[in-house]
Amino acid sequence: MVFLITFTHYPAVQTVISSFFSTGRGRRKSVFIGWDNYTTLLLDEVFWKVLVNNFWYAVWTIPLSIILSLAMALWVNDKLRGRGFLRMAYFTPTVLPLIAVANIWLFFYTPGFGLIDQIRGLFGFAEQNWMGSPDTALYSMIAVAIWKEAGFFMIFYLAALQTIPPSLREAAAIEGASKFYYFRRVIFPLLMPTTLFVSINAIINSFRLVDHILVMTEGGPNNSSSLLLFYIYEVAFDYWDTAYAATLTVVMLAILTTVAIGQFFFLDKKVHYK
Amino acid sequence: MSGAKVNLKNIFKSWNDTPALNDISLDIPAGKFTALLGPSGCGKSTALRIVSGLEEPSSGQVFIGGHDVTHTPPAARDIAMVFQSYALFPHLNVAENIVFGLRVRGIVRKDRDEKLKATAQLLGLSELLDRKPSQLSGGQQQRVALGRAIVANKSIFLMDEPLSNLDAKLRAEMREEIRALQHRLGVTMLYVTHDQVEAVTMADQVVLMNHGRVEQVASPRVMYENPATLFAAKFIGTPPMVTFSPQLLSHTLAPNLLQKSRDLTFGIRPESFTINNSGPINGTVGNIEYLGADTLIECKVEDEFLLCRAPGQTQLTEGAAINLAFNVKDLHVFNTTSGQRTDEILPEIEMALPSQNASSKLAR
Repeated sequence: MVFLITFTHYPAVQTVISSFFSTGRGRRKSVFIGWDNYTTLLLDEVFWKVLVNNFWYAVWTIPLSIILSLAMALWVNDKLRGRGFLRMAYFTPTVLPLIAVANIWLFFYTPGFGLIDQIRGLFGFAEQNWMGSPDTALYSMIAVAIWKEAGFFMIFYLAALQTIPPSLREAAAIEGASKFYYFRRVIFPLLMPTTLFVSINAIINSFRLVDHILVMTEGGPNNSSSLLLFYIYEVAFDYWDTAYAATLTVVMLAILTTVAIGQFFFLDKKVHYK
Repeated sequence: MSGAKVNLKNIFKSWNDTPALNDISLDIPAGKFTALLGPSGCGKSTALRIVSGLEEPSSGQVFIGGHDVTHTPPAARDIAMVFQSYALFPHLNVAENIVFGLRVRGIVRKDRDEKLKATAQLLGLSELLDRKPSQLSGGQQQRVALGRAIVANKSIFLMDEPLSNLDAKLRAEMREEIRALQHRLGVTMLYVTHDQVEAVTMADQVVLMNHGRVEQVASPRVMYENPATLFAAKFIGTPPMVTFSPQLLSHTLAPNLLQKSRDLTFGIRPESFTINNSGPINGTVGNIEYLGADTLIECKVEDEFLLCRAPGQTQLTEGAAINLAFNVKDLHVFNTTSGQRTDEILPEIEMALPSQNASSKLAR
């Protein structure tokens, strides 16, 4: 409890308080400025930009990683040869340290002789500076994120699938249900608790991303691949505007809380728990 | 709805070199109740699953209603199945569970509701249609599983130990209910169980299996009175048939007859023994188990224990001498190595061992 207060509750409260003060600099003490930080925030173009980035990032990564992980889980859950190896292979991206992963992907994305461009070259496409162009930087990041998260979420889906007794499939088979019908009417509803859990995780992750932006693009070019938390990191530790960073944090927490609660109440009614 | 017959022809099935079924051929008559009985691991469930189409035989053929369905998917086999675990869909309510198959087949809502209503009424589930399976008792879940089978309107019902998850009282109730249901619907019932009481009380025909083979196919009565093998004799009946070596009758049987029966095993039902001072089997009283109407008396003869069912009021003390007699018509003779019934020697034994009324002059 002491630890919880020291490291979680106290900083959280302190963050909220800081957001109403100006940033103290050597000579000037930090003073109470009320909602000024929030007004700045509303006028801050970069803030809106990263928020929109974050929105697109979430919109792409969450559904895609969930669909992909579910598909992979269904596949490796089947009786097929070498599925132990497949399960491991899918989980590897999650185990690898993010910095290493980001570096590998940097090589893939390298303009001209990176893996992707080499393959594109075979089909006669022009070189593309994936990480360096504002149009593609964010989407390149999204691809990496999906690749990494899908394996992780697959494990949850796989665990849930293993708890569904095989006799349900047999009962459905005797009634003549197709594989797809069985998935739609039985498997998918039974996986809803997992989907809820995974999607909340995915949302939190999409706001929590710092490290691989730092390694791959540092938010550039022109903040086109910067996300909210990375922006907070920049404001706090590059520009040392801690009060403004606190303000951003409060806003982010508010967004996360709203989303999580909304999701819980919205989906909870539709979810069947055993 | 009426039944269709099921025929299995030379079915073999093995799991990665482990044989599960070894040349099974069976005729299951239409509209009758057939029980597949045997100890766990004897292949009875595998046989059922092969009939259902959930499993394909390694070789052999399956016929339903005279048509070869060996490679037909389960849904096209005119079967309904009730699983041991009931296999109810936990997220669907009772009504949705029952009409699951009707929905799959795209039956219109009006017909669906009608069938659901009739089935629910038949099974006494009308009040429970909105409940989820987890809110039902074991017996109610069982009924829902039955409902799903009934509403499908198929001519063959397959049941895989449907009562094994219920308590004893409920089991007795459901036994009657399922039996009555089969009569009423006229379907062919193939019912897997390891409980001989279930098989004997419910079935028109019992198929006794052991080690992936069929031991005997007979009506319960024939199977009890005329077991074809030693295994059948020991499996049917509580307590099972008492078996002993002919040597126990060495006082009574002539040496040449003893010599002849050296490869044989004798069997007698516990209730066919009578306590008779002049009986040919002489031993001492061992354990006594008082059951009210009956008493089970363990009788130690040389190093074998014979169980005898005597009337409840029989008074005996442990360690006392006891003589058992039996009627030769109640004697079953089996070949010890093959386990097959061999009746050839019976007349000779009958000569040596006259009926028990006359046996008094023989003893002592």
